[in-house]
Amino acid sequence: MTQAPLRQSVIETILQESQTPTSPTKEHAYSVQLRGVNKVFLQTQFRLQNIHLNVRQGEFLFITGPSGSGKSTLLKLIYGEERADQGEVRVEGQNVGGLRGNRLSMLRRRLGVVFQDYKLISRWTVAENVSFVLRSQGIPRDEVERRLQPTLRLVGLGNKANCLPCQLSGGEQQRASIARAIVGSPRLLLADEPTGNLDHDNAMQVLGILKKLNELGITVMITTHDLYLIERGQARVAHLNQGRLEVLSSEQVTPCEP
Amino acid sequence: MRTVRMPLRGSAKLAWTQVEYLGQETLRGLQRGGWMNWAAISTVTVLLFLFGISLQTSWQVSGLLQQMGSNVQISLYLIPEADGEVVQGTVGQFPGVANVEIVPKEQAWQGLLADLGAADIEGVTEGLGENPLVDELVVRARSVGAVPQLVSSLARVPGVDSVSYLDEALQHLADLNQGLSRVSWAVVSLLTLTAIAVITTTIRLIVIARHQEIEVMQLVGATHTWIYLPFLLQGLAFGLGGAALAWVFLVATRQFAQHLLTRQPNFLQTLAHGLQLQPGQALLLPIILLTFGSLVGLSGSLLAVRRFSLR
Ligand SMILES: Nc1ncnc2c1ncn2[C@@H]1O[C@H](COP(=O)(O)OP(=O)(O)O)[C@@H](O)[C@H]1O
Ligand SMILES: [Mg+2]
Repeated sequence: MTQAPLRQSVIETILQESQTPTSPTKEHAYSVQLRGVNKVFLQTQFRLQNIHLNVRQGEFLFITGPSGSGKSTLLKLIYGEERADQGEVRVEGQNVGGLRGNRLSMLRRRLGVVFQDYKLISRWTVAENVSFVLRSQGIPRDEVERRLQPTLRLVGLGNKANCLPCQLSGGEQQRASIARAIVGSPRLLLADEPTGNLDHDNAMQVLGILKKLNELGITVMITTHDLYLIERGQARVAHLNQGRLEVLSSEQVTPCEP
Repeated sequence: MRTVRMPLRGSAKLAWTQVEYLGQETLRGLQRGGWMNWAAISTVTVLLFLFGISLQTSWQVSGLLQQMGSNVQISLYLIPEADGEVVQGTVGQFPGVANVEIVPKEQAWQGLLADLGAADIEGVTEGLGENPLVDELVVRARSVGAVPQLVSSLARVPGVDSVSYLDEALQHLADLNQGLSRVSWAVVSLLTLTAIAVITTTIRLIVIARHQEIEVMQLVGATHTWIYLPFLLQGLAFGLGGAALAWVFLVATRQFAQHLLTRQPNFLQTLAHGLQLQPGQALLLPIILLTFGSLVGLSGSLLAVRRFSLR
């Protein structure tokens, strides 16, 4: 984090740009709201039951739970890859379940998602993987260039822009996928087990980046089963188990939990 | 929202960004296609070349028909006892007949002699004893197609001795043209389906090869149009490329044929003249080919992405 002042200024400019009054949604107290959400996968008989969750603007939230407890599914409900069978999922007041086609696309442009499996395109360099988000939203090339380097520097990949994903370490791939998630200056960042495959040092580095983004006003939701991370994170924790969600404070998480 | 947020220097810049992006993505798709591109383009080329040939031939044949006189003329020779005007009245009633004229044998005789270049008409007539010709009715048919039937019914009219029409060759040509156009219609339809199928397969393969990119694009908020338009443009490129090639081949073959014919004796040179398209047709041909090609390309690519983009 030696470049902290620089990073901060970059993110601030990005954020200032995103706070335009022309934003289609009004300023909302809650970034994410789930009300009475039920979701069943018939093939696997997996179910999420009656999920209630309010995430404030600018909050940093952990979602924990054992593997297979539905953490990824919960995030997918928020970015609209899965749809709730019952109940409502709202992002900045907007009902995600009711969005189709281009309106869903427009919602997704306002969030950043760090996927559990990164979803980096293996034939493309880091720079291409990141700038592709902006290009596919129709942003002019020079504007894309202008945003690319600062974003890569923010995640510590300033000198890896022209590497292919296979030439990166696990931690670098993870950070590349974070760069892709934030290059569009989202107000909400969803990170699915962003430290799941990383060693301790890399995990702390990633946590540092996410914390920094949060300090700059971005709402961050992280799924994880890394208790050490939660301890270090100093944030609210929601725990998924047996298809139900229980919201705890960080103090309530004890290291002996499964 | 993103479009509002970025520093816009007029919507022209935005439009240019979009055109540039779409062009680049289309090119990328073409690069990905590899040899499949050539399969798609050459199928379209074969289709449009054959289509163009048959269209051009039908134009040329009707041009030839016109050149040689489109009003087919039937001559009725009357028996000597017949009254020309009575027969003229009967023949005029036939539905396929446009008009009937009498050529009295005296007039026909003089015309014939004039054609033969005989200056001394009376001398020749005396030598033969009398005018050897009979009265003749010249019938013009309403259409070329009606002629054969007309000829056989005119032969049965009382007072008519014999019927002849000099344009039988033209008639055969018209028949042949009609038959050909039926065959080429069938071939062109079949090839159209083939070309669409090849384009659909090509584009679907490329879509499948790029499904990872497409999935991520969807997840980061690219619109369906933005994702799938390059594939449609790629189909269009196949169609236009095939059409352009077909047109080049058509012009080349036409010029080659003309080149061959102009070195032949006179009769064939007339034919070479008939092979020439009228200026309007020469312009229309590439337009028709390009339109047909783009339709084929677009329908092929629409079929390819429909299944994916409707999700
Ligand atoms: N598309 C799907 N169809 C059927 N079952 C699914 C699907 N996605 C996830 N599941 C099931 O839902 C459960 C929770 O999955 P997931 O949300 O990925 O858990 P986690 O991220 O907490 O490990 C798993 O048992 C998985 O098999
Ligand atoms: Mg998961």
